[in-house]
Amino acid sequence: MSTVDWKNYTPVLIPDIKNLDQIDVYRDNGGYQALKTVLTDSEKWPDRKSVIEEVKAANIRGRGGAGFNAGLKWSFMPPSDGGPRYLACNGDESEPGTFKDRALFEYNPHLFVEGALIGAYAIEATAIYVYIRGEYKYFIDKVQKAIDDAYANGLIGKNILGTDFSCDFYVVAGAGAYICGEETSMLESIEGKRGYPRVKPPFPAQKGLWGRPTTINNVETLAHVPAVINKGADWFTSIGAKNHPGPILYGISGHVNNPGVYELPTGVPVLDLIHEVAGGMRNGKKLKALIPGGSSTPVVRADQLEGITMDSESLRSVGTMLGTAGMVVMDEDTDMVEMLWRISKFYHHESCGQCTPCRDGTGWLQKILKKIKDGEGEIKDLDLLLDITTQMEGRTICALADAAAWPVRHTITRFRDEFEARCKKSVFAVA
Amino acid sequence: MPEIFIDGQRYEFEGEHRVLQFIQDLGKEVPFFCYHPAMSAPANCRQCFVKAGQYVKDRETGEYELDEEGNRTIRWFPKLQTSCNLQMVDGMVIHTQETDEQVARAQKDTLEFLLINHPLDCPICDQAGECPLQIQTYKYGPEGSRFEVKKVHRPKRVRLGPRVILDAERCINCTRCVRFTDEISKSHQLTIVQRGDNNFPITAPGREFDDPYSLNTVDICPVGALTAADFRFKARVWEMNQTPSIDMTNGKGTNIDLWTRDNIVLRITPRYNKEVNDHWMPDEARTAYTLFNENRISRPLQKLDGEQVLSSWNNAYATLMEQLEEVKPAEVLLVGSPHASVEENYALAKFANLNGYRKPVFLRNEEKGKADGFLLTDDLAPNTNGCILLGFDELTPAEFSAEAEKAGLIILVHDDFISREVLTAGQLDGKYTVIFASNHTKTTKAADLVIPVTTAAEHAASYVNVEGRIQRTFRAKETKYNKRRLDMEMSEGRLDRYGTNFDNWVNEDNKIDCLPLWTFISNLTGYMGTEITLEDGRLIMSEIASTIDAFNGVSYAKMDENSGIQLDTEKVSKKVES
Amino acid sequence: MKYEFSEEDLKEIDAIKAKYPEVMPATLPVLWLAQNKFGHVNPEVQRLVASTLGLPEAHVHGVVTFYTQYYEEEKGTYVLDVCTCLTCQLCGGYEMLEYFEEKLGIKQGETTPDGRFTLKEVECLGACGYAPMMQVSNETYVNNLTKEKVDKLLDDLRQDKKPEHEKVGMPQRKNI
Repeated sequence: MSTVDWKNYTPVLIPDIKNLDQIDVYRDNGGYQALKTVLTDSEKWPDRKSVIEEVKAANIRGRGGAGFNAGLKWSFMPPSDGGPRYLACNGDESEPGTFKDRALFEYNPHLFVEGALIGAYAIEATAIYVYIRGEYKYFIDKVQKAIDDAYANGLIGKNILGTDFSCDFYVVAGAGAYICGEETSMLESIEGKRGYPRVKPPFPAQKGLWGRPTTINNVETLAHVPAVINKGADWFTSIGAKNHPGPILYGISGHVNNPGVYELPTGVPVLDLIHEVAGGMRNGKKLKALIPGGSSTPVVRADQLEGITMDSESLRSVGTMLGTAGMVVMDEDTDMVEMLWRISKFYHHESCGQCTPCRDGTGWLQKILKKIKDGEGEIKDLDLLLDITTQMEGRTICALADAAAWPVRHTITRFRDEFEARCKKSVFAVA
Repeated sequence: MPEIFIDGQRYEFEGEHRVLQFIQDLGKEVPFFCYHPAMSAPANCRQCFVKAGQYVKDRETGEYELDEEGNRTIRWFPKLQTSCNLQMVDGMVIHTQETDEQVARAQKDTLEFLLINHPLDCPICDQAGECPLQIQTYKYGPEGSRFEVKKVHRPKRVRLGPRVILDAERCINCTRCVRFTDEISKSHQLTIVQRGDNNFPITAPGREFDDPYSLNTVDICPVGALTAADFRFKARVWEMNQTPSIDMTNGKGTNIDLWTRDNIVLRITPRYNKEVNDHWMPDEARTAYTLFNENRISRPLQKLDGEQVLSSWNNAYATLMEQLEEVKPAEVLLVGSPHASVEENYALAKFANLNGYRKPVFLRNEEKGKADGFLLTDDLAPNTNGCILLGFDELTPAEFSAEAEKAGLIILVHDDFISREVLTAGQLDGKYTVIFASNHTKTTKAADLVIPVTTAAEHAASYVNVEGRIQRTFRAKETKYNKRRLDMEMSEGRLDRYGTNFDNWVNEDNKIDCLPLWTFISNLTGYMGTEITLEDGRLIMSEIASTIDAFNGVSYAKMDENSGIQLDTEKVSKKVES
Repeated sequence: MKYEFSEEDLKEIDAIKAKYPEVMPATLPVLWLAQNKFGHVNPEVQRLVASTLGLPEAHVHGVVTFYTQYYEEEKGTYVLDVCTCLTCQLCGGYEMLEYFEEKLGIKQGETTPDGRFTLKEVECLGACGYAPMMQVSNETYVNNLTKEKVDKLLDDLRQDKKPEHEKVGMPQRKNI
């Protein structure tokens, strides 16, 4: 396996430039050039399709966790009927372990705005809504400021840069609901409702916001677009892992010396990220386990991580996923029972309550885990937990039930001895 | 024609169909809770799982691809599908719980989840016996429970509004009630609050669920979460007899079921009729059950020295005969009623005809502005069109008042003209007034002779609604003169069917001493020597159908088959004019 | 107390409505506006929002109870949302929560008798790299909590000195 050369990587999403969040600085550093060429350079970009094709070729896999090719997603939009069409940007990041989009909001909001505008142009959107979790008050204001400045500079609104492309851009603040990061739930929330995920079909490309064609992209995904336009799909695919290319924002948290957001290529060896990028384990402790991409991605034991890189294929080989690349690093002192209970508590708290298996299943998991954590559990409870997870997976409208089930299943199977040790001894003598 | 294969059986279909409804229409079953044919399908209960796939067709030849053994290859959906919102397409293959272990397991799993936080208080729950959760648990659910932690607690005994009580712990969050207020009644009074397993439906704080259709949510609630304030704890479902009927409180002709026990109507629920009321009925029509039980006239009443006293039937016949002989035929004013059935009004008309009296007249009973474009109408009577089709002259209150002054003897049916201020008690003084009625009213109090007649709950008779649709009732409760066990046309409850003579639960109480109006008229003509036979509604209707054009082709059998018959309203207006 | 929107509020509400093709989407932003103004969205405020937007009260109530950031009743002057989720748990979030409980003499979910502080245990706030952390009154994040930091924060808040946004920086960057 060729190793990704992450040490010589030059950041593009969040370059090391002071005050890049200000529109003038951003423009002085080549900002909004991609938008301009897309809108005005008819030789290079004869039509919208050419933009979509380029992005498709770049294979920007959705950075929100699902990893779907962004350009391909754009191509699903039906031909315009002249009515409104929307681009909905997902900046809800609420999955425990995930805190990357906020770095973009804080340090390079215009990159996202520009990427979104290019996306809107490509899919002929008439308006863009970016949904940001309500807790990110500071970043909401930051993005709003960027949008206001872009409006003032003729980059958003009527006849953008003097072309016939017009598009509005609005910020929508969430109000505290993890489920609204699920794309259709986010649409419901933008529409002012309780964030219940929608049944698919119809898919958002057919019936999205207010029943109109809508594409939903993660904020980071869109932030990759300007560079793809400027440097080409080939450049993008040359970076990082072959099947999951490009730069990516890693959020590294937990028991490491330098937690934070790191922009590097995909496919960086997991152990490099922990031991080199993030400065190694805190207090010289030993690595015990890793959650590679947000709380729903199955936990991996340290002994499984040798040679594993941060891309979907390599992670799949150890039974986990890239998710949002929000890595939660756990040291040898970590109590896996407590950790898993806390994840379950989260999903129990965040289940919207629409589908039976999730509404009642998440609570059941949490309560059994609490019982085990408190030393009241029995060995049979572990098997019951595993059974409940199979009853939840794939049985609900959205993936929250799966997200709640996977950690339970995998944490128990991968750390079963720890769980058994916490269980009460059977009151019956074993013959 | 497109084809679908359900549990190995091939069916053809045309147009758009969803799998669950299609399966139900075939008379087969897939369990479900949140789906309701009249509302959107949120697919949230996750009970109606099926395994779905598609026979693979060769794109070029259009032929089905075959596997090595010569069977058609199936491309299965990666996950089980909820059949409620699964659109049928040509070549679709469906396996239900009948043929597929995986589906049966998934349905059992969902039921297990539904039950873990459910209080399992069936013994004290009104819904027991007609509870989809209970029924489906018995059929498809798990045995025993693996749930050994604490159940979620939610509000109980919440008075949602004047008529509906909520037990949120029983709620399974199907959202049918919320969708009803959003999509059907459009009052938007309910919402689901909280999240996850704390979810439950409720009104905005401090607001009442006073939607005029609120009780429909009780009907569609698939558990005992919503119960009717009025009916709570009154009866177990299996103790009651369920009899189809027609609403008597307005002109819509809403199809209903009467639920009786011990000859008391205990509740009224809507009965599906796509052409009339779909699945619904207004709340106020439900409270009308009391009219069948309370304030009933039992035994004829006669005025003696200005006092109404109980009389005998023989006395009633003799008195009426005497009084009719006292006046000239032209002085007899017969007033038919939109509150009476076609058959009753016909009996009256036939009686008039026989004795050379003027054809009955009638008055509309309307409340302007009452209609809501849904199930409430301005017309407060169930059979105004019936009177028109029988050719009765419609009088205005003023016209009627003048006619009444002139009359020597007045025969009324049901209409409480005094309360409606059409007549005053004084106007009836000095002329003999006979009223056929089921309940005491100001007008019956003023009458000289009161003949107790059966209500829609006690006779089989027909009513023509505002749209000209004729529909009929069935005998739901016994009078003094009939017995459920001998009356082949009366519905049987579980206890009728499985009870023994020794635990005969039908008691003799609450039987009203009354007769169908036509029976009284028949008997009366017998005494008068001009005997006409008006045996029962069924036979009267066949007589009407063969003699009155507007009712051509109408029969009980045909009404029963087609949930009523739409009459030719063209004919209605012509008939009226001629 | 009578809850009313001022002329300016109504102008702002019109501006919010103009962002969407329908009225219903204004529900969340107008609830935010109301909460920022009144400090909560209690049943009366919910009614005000519903009537101002011409939306069913039940709808507004359903929305309020779905989203955790809306306060259905009056809270303390400062609401301390302490994250204990996953990374924060691993990095001592519960110790911080307990420390708050000890310092304030209340349990999570409660408000101090003087009405100054409401303490809440919350789910992931999306600042896992800076765990354990918390948010003050739906606004500012306070990162990398220590007992000393908690002491200082409470002292400051008692003098109505609100914390400022902490730029967390990017570990690989020098300029930002």
